[in-house]
Amino acid sequence: MTGFFLVLGVAAGALLAYRQGLPAVVEALFGAGELMLIVLPLVVIAVLMAAYAQALIPRDLAERWLGRGAGLKGIGLATLAGAVTPGGPFMAFPLVLGLRGVGASLPICTTYLTAWSVLGIQRVLIWELPFFGLDFVVLRLLVSLPLPLIAGLLTQWLTEPDGV
Amino acid sequence: MLFAYLSIIALLVVLASLAHRDAHIRHATVGRQAWQQIAPLLIRLPLALLAASFLAELMPQALFARWLGDASGTLGILVASAMGGLLPGGPMVAFPLILVLERAGAGTPQLIALLTAWSCLALHRVLAFELPTLGWGFVWRRWAATVALAPLAGLAAAWVLALKG
Repeated sequence: MTGFFLVLGVAAGALLAYRQGLPAVVEALFGAGELMLIVLPLVVIAVLMAAYAQALIPRDLAERWLGRGAGLKGIGLATLAGAVTPGGPFMAFPLVLGLRGVGASLPICTTYLTAWSVLGIQRVLIWELPFFGLDFVVLRLLVSLPLPLIAGLLTQWLTEPDGV
Repeated sequence: MLFAYLSIIALLVVLASLAHRDAHIRHATVGRQAWQQIAPLLIRLPLALLAASFLAELMPQALFARWLGDASGTLGILVASAMGGLLPGGPMVAFPLILVLERAGAGTPQLIALLTAWSCLALHRVLAFELPTLGWGFVWRRWAATVALAPLAGLAAAWVLALKG
């Protein structure tokens, strides 16, 4: 992936220099540098934070907690758990697998994954806030709050259309 | 910005002090784990941001404003949802690219639809994690249940913005 970005950066930089001249390249360089100074320390702190969280929250505890949940209460718990699960797919997917293993229902797993996707607090703090600002983040979180519930209920209906 | 820093530092302090009291957790082990994730980012992230910054200057702004700008409305939200669903990669790839679109004039509801589609549908994640581990039965149901969420989030955002005036 590093190679991909290197090629993309060099190609785009060369094209920019060709079309708009060197000053445009220098300006873009400074813009990228500024953003990097803001984002990079944040990423480093957040990864360290996520590493502590992973060490502290034993997976079997989360599984026991969510595996039993059912109905609206289970969906609420799954939403909450998804929002606070730190880390990338390496963290979330083993947890979903474990949840399936201890008998968590399909709607609970979908709710959990959707909440992790759209409400994940770590992603908001590391990426969204510095890139897009507080107003944007608040609006997006507001409209995303009901989404895990909708996904969970729809999955339930798809799994057992008559059971709802 | 300050808010992001303060909250993440506060979380780190709380978690680190909790870990300090737990005899089974060693700071060195946690630090090593974190470093394994951070090290590749130190080169990749600056490169990604640089590439995104160049691309932002090259984007045909008028084209993006027409298809994804505030005035593009519902159609723009649908276009953005489709783009988001196809956008590959994790946050490090996606966010700089989405930033390019924002600078090229994409509207807020359209960006929200794009981000939601990218994070929910996540083609790359499905291929790399979901299909091999959870199987088709899970994947098609989860997709069917989440495919409408991105346009829904975009429309809701447009509605909230219209209410605010």
